[in-house]
Parts: sequence; structure tokens; C-alpha cells
Amino acid sequence: MAAESDARWVPVAISADIMDGTVIPARLPTGRIAVWRSVSGHIYANGDRCPHRGMRLSHGFVRGETLSCIYHGWRFGTDGACQKIPAHPAVAPPKTINCGALPVVEGNGVVWVATQRPSNEPSHIAGFEALRSLVITATPDAITHAFEGKTIVGATKVQLVGHDALLLMNILGPDEVFVIVLIETDLSVSDRLAVSAAVEGLRRAAETTEDAA
Amino acid sequence: MTAQAMRDAWYPVGLLSQLSFEGKDSLLLGQKITICGAETGAPRVESDGRNLPVVERFGHLWTTLGAPNKDLFTIPEADHPDRTRVDVGVVRVKCSPLRAVENFLDVAHFPFVHTDILGAESHPEVSEYKVEIRDDVDEVWATKVEFFQPQAAKSAGGGITTEYMYRVPAPTCSILYKTCPPRPDEWDVIALFVQPLTEDLCDVWPWMALFDDESAMTDLIHFQQLIFLQDRSILENQIPKRLPLDPAMETPTRADLTSIAYRRWLKRHNYTFGAQLVAE
Amino acid sequence: MILYDYILSPSCYKVRLLASLLDAPLELRAVDFHPGREHKGPELLALNPAGSIPILVDDDLVLRESAAMLTYVAARHGPDWLAVDDPIAVTQQQQWLAFSHRLTSALGGARLVEMLHFEGDLAALQANGIAALRELELALFARRLTGGVFLVGDTPSVSDIACFPYVALAPDGSVSLDSYPSIRIWMRAIRALPGFIEMPGIHRLHELAPDPFAEAST
Repeated sequence: MAAESDARWVPVAISADIMDGTVIPARLPTGRIAVWRSVSGHIYANGDRCPHRGMRLSHGFVRGETLSCIYHGWRFGTDGACQKIPAHPAVAPPKTINCGALPVVEGNGVVWVATQRPSNEPSHIAGFEALRSLVITATPDAITHAFEGKTIVGATKVQLVGHDALLLMNILGPDEVFVIVLIETDLSVSDRLAVSAAVEGLRRAAETTEDAA
Repeated sequence: MTAQAMRDAWYPVGLLSQLSFEGKDSLLLGQKITICGAETGAPRVESDGRNLPVVERFGHLWTTLGAPNKDLFTIPEADHPDRTRVDVGVVRVKCSPLRAVENFLDVAHFPFVHTDILGAESHPEVSEYKVEIRDDVDEVWATKVEFFQPQAAKSAGGGITTEYMYRVPAPTCSILYKTCPPRPDEWDVIALFVQPLTEDLCDVWPWMALFDDESAMTDLIHFQQLIFLQDRSILENQIPKRLPLDPAMETPTRADLTSIAYRRWLKRHNYTFGAQLVAE
Repeated sequence: MILYDYILSPSCYKVRLLASLLDAPLELRAVDFHPGREHKGPELLALNPAGSIPILVDDDLVLRESAAMLTYVAARHGPDWLAVDDPIAVTQQQQWLAFSHRLTSALGGARLVEMLHFEGDLAALQANGIAALRELELALFARRLTGGVFLVGDTPSVSDIACFPYVALAPDGSVSLDSYPSIRIWMRAIRALPGFIEMPGIHRLHELAPDPFAEAST
């Protein structure tokens, strides 16, 4: 049974990275999830596993407001309930067949998912927006160290080529962290490119420290 | 320790036409084996210092880690002299050997995985068919399976309703018999022989015995490789890796009668290498 | 044009894909690459001493490198897919075609080891593959910042087709694509192109086909 402390929002993707009508794989500390945006632009999340034969739903496809599994085409609605089983097109699927819809919200250009809906929305960070996400093969401490970061509540404050930035970390494993980089909203394209390049260099530093350790 | 029942079965480990004289290392049920072709005399399979029993059949070399209580199965239809026998070539798949077999027994995925070849989204319905565990031969059989197929075989001219029969004569082998377009009274035979390397890794050795005088051998090989590689991208992405034998874990429907029978038969015989018994 | 082809070869697929996207006629000759190793036999070695496929033959012209084949097919049937007039874009195409060989060696090499029993240093191939994917992700992210989705210019080019297949099949060699959002968006843009064809392991976009269960519109 999930503890009260499990009711927290986890940053799993950048909103701009999920186009209308597409599904992507993502990770929570509890396991793999599929995050998808319906054709009308609404965001949804559920477990990354079809209840039929366990195929990853993140390999599936979105039609309208539904997500279909690529294996047998089982079709799920926004509440996770199975709406259609193509092998038996005339039969209404039993209501118990469900791929496990999860609470999901968007804020600051980030997609946040929880296993249990927390009482509050994720805090809005004024003046910042998501730039890029990447996976760093290092511990959170090694990352904070390489980026010369300062840990604040829920994020790590850094400076990247002279710009204030924030790192959101979603810990995937002992040395695997999913990082979302937030930057000030008014940054120019060339500044964004410079920040992105700086992030690559610091990732390399964080990962090399790991090897040396 | 792998259940003895699984050790006592026969498994494919090589293509007779391609055995290496220097010896090739592999795995069988997690155990190291070495397969050697021979210039004269029979090929050998060695493991742990001893020579394992071997059989040469269906163009492949077969072996066992245990003491089988019956001979390797036969496929009498495949012996017909007018048939073209096709060694399709090994493909390694990062999945449970049992998942590889179960996928081969399924038709409901044809419209989505083999689109415009073995199935079409416009014709997804799986009608009732018959499944039984034949106790006299101790094999799983599905018959009267029908499915509309845009391109059923290399030899098919256009879309046809194909009839299928499925047969599981050993824990990691499956044979399908399907409508043969050039000879409507006969069946084309397509087999999947699976070598379990570990519980989540297998070598799949497909083989066929077809009536097809028109297509070049390479085209027949490529058609079957195409179909199998389409399945492979599914097989490597099923969770959990090991085939759940606990019925509560996955949700079958009436289209899945063959797989339900296969899982029941596996459990009955303790063929559990590559399976998980309870939800983890 | 005749393509000596193997259905499971991503390099052969590059040529088949571009020909389909450009509606260019292409005759296929199936080569028994696996298990038959026909590409190492005397007849094909005579045509290509490198012992590789694809091989593209058009009258007297014999091409043995997939990058050259893409360039040729585009030159004959779709010059918009080459940047002929812009020297910077021409150079960028060259850079991406060269880069695509790293994808072939690393991601393709890992795939052959894991799938078809080829020999190779799997860990090194995977590490090189990940390094190449990270570079590709960065470049595609940079393109997105200026509203682009393809590698060079505003429309797809031979660079995209040269890089796409081995990237899309990276999981065959146990290199996951989960952490590259810009690569994912780029792959989808390619798969949505009119005339896109699949190869085993690279699915079509089912959502582009009409929904057989669509309710009649109200």
C-alpha cells in the first residue's frame, strides 16, 4: 500500500516533448509509465503495461482521446478503462480491464505524475520554463557537484554560462538520474543553445567523476 | 535447479548445414554447451565434460540435457518430396523462450504487427476455434482457426481467408499448419524451434516445409524472417519477462484459448524455465 | 535501378525507403545474407569486393556505399533531398552522411551481435552508439529551437534517411531510445512522411490509417 509520502509529484517529461496524438515512455520511482497527449492536447499517464499480455503501452498509438496497444490493438480511454478489444469488436470489454490511469498535471512546461494524487498542485516556479531533459549516468550528489549546484526545496540551483537555471531530478536508479533543466523564460535562442551545450559538458564531468570514483 | 521435466526435453542448437568444426559455444537452460560439426561421423554436443544425446531432424541439430522419455516429435506432412524445406536462420531474442512460443500461437496480433500481410485492421475479429490438449500424444492442438489475410504467403495471389492449425509438441516448439494457396488440400508447415539460453534469452530457429515451386529460396527465407522480426520487436517489450502462469496476472479473452491451454499444459508438466508462477 | 537487398538490413532499407518516398522505381534482388552469407560468395564479391550489401546497379554504374546510393537516388528522382545550391547545406549533408557511418558501425554492430550471432565487443559498440545518439539528440534539439525538425533545412533530406534506420533499431542492440525526446520527435516526422514504408522492427504509424471503429460523426 502506498504510504502518504508517496503522494508527491514527480517530473517525468517536458510538455513540449510530447506532441498531440503521441505517447512516450517515462519513469516513476515505482516503475515505468506511459505518458500520452490526446489529439485534443490533454495529457494523460498510466502504467506502461497492457493488462492483456504485458506489452509496453508506450510503444502504442493515440487516436482521438484513446491509447491503443500495438500488440493486439486494445484501446484504453483517459480513465484507463479498456474500450475496445479488436479481436471481439462487438463485445463491450469488462470494466475490470484497466491500464491504471495516474494523476498528471502540467506546470512550468513540465509534466508531473504521481502514484497517488497529492493534496496540492506542484509549486509554480515564477519566471522559469523547461528547456531540455536528459539522463545522466551518475549519482545525484555527483551531478550537484559537477554542476556546482545548490540544493533548494525540490530543485537544484545552478548557473549555466552566466544564467540562472534549475535542475529537477527524478532518480531512476543508484547512478541514473532523469534531469529537467529549467531556464529563465526570456532567454534568446542563442542563449538556450549555449545553456544546452554547457549542460552537455557538465554531464560529461558528472559521469567522468563517477568513473574515477 | 531447472525442473527436471524441462531438462528431459529435446532442443534445437544448430543448423546442420552450418555446424562449425572448431566448435561453437552456446547455452541451454542456462548451462554451457559446445556444438561441433564433424567432417565424418555425427555432430557432437558437449556439456560439462560429457557428450549429450543428439538427433538430426528438420535440418537442425537437436540435443537434451536430460533423459527424454520419448523421441523427438515428427512432422509427417513435412516429408512429402514435393515440398520445399526452408532453413530460415537463427535469430536471438531477449525474451523468455515460452513467450516466443506463445506469440507464435496467436492470431489476434496479425492486423497490428503484420499489417497488410497476415492481417488488416479492417478484419480484426477472431472467430471461435477449437483447442484441446490431446492426451494420447500429450500435445496442445488448436484447429479451425480462421483469419482474413491480405498476403498469407509468398505463394498467395491476393487476400484470402486462411485456415490454421496450431500444434505444441514440446515445451519450446510450435508448429503451425496453414492454408496452402497452390494446393488447397494440403497444409503449408511453418515451425518455430526455440532454444532456451536463459530464462529471458532464447535463440529462435524457424523452419518451413512448403508447397511452392515458384518462389526463390531466398524470397521464402526473407518472407519468414520479415514476419518473425516484426514479432521480435513485441517480444522484447513484454513485461514481466518471464511468462506468468498465474492466471490472475494477465487478462486473456476467447481469442487466447490456445495460449491459455499452452500455459495450463506448461504448468501441468512443470515446464517452468522462463515462467513465473506467482505475481512478483 | 537494381538494389541487391536484404529485408533485415537497415542499410538496404535506407535505399528502399528513399526510393519509396521519392516514388522512384527500384527493382529488388534478394540476397541471402543470413543464414546463407551470399554477400560473401563469388558472384556478389565480383560485383562488390567489399563483401557488403546493399549494392546499387544502374546500367554501368555500380555503387557500394549506402550514402552514395542515397545521393544518387535523390539526384535522379528528388533533387530537393540534396542541398545542391547552398554550399553550407551541402557541407552539412556531407557531415551527416559521414556521421551516419558511426551509427552503422556502433548501433548496427551491436544489433548484429545481439540478434544474429555476429562477433564483436558489445559494450564498446553500445558505448559508441550512446555517444552518437547523444550528439544527434543535441543537434536535433538545436534544430527544434529554430522551429526545424529535420537535420538540414526545413524539409527532409538524404541526411535524415541515412541516420534514421540504425537509430530506430538501436533497441535491437540493447541501446534504449527512451531518453532522447528530440530524436523521438524526428523519427515520428520521418515515419509520417507520405510514401514512408516499414521494415521489421520499425512500425508504421497506425494512427494515420482510418479508425475502423470510428463512430459516424454527429
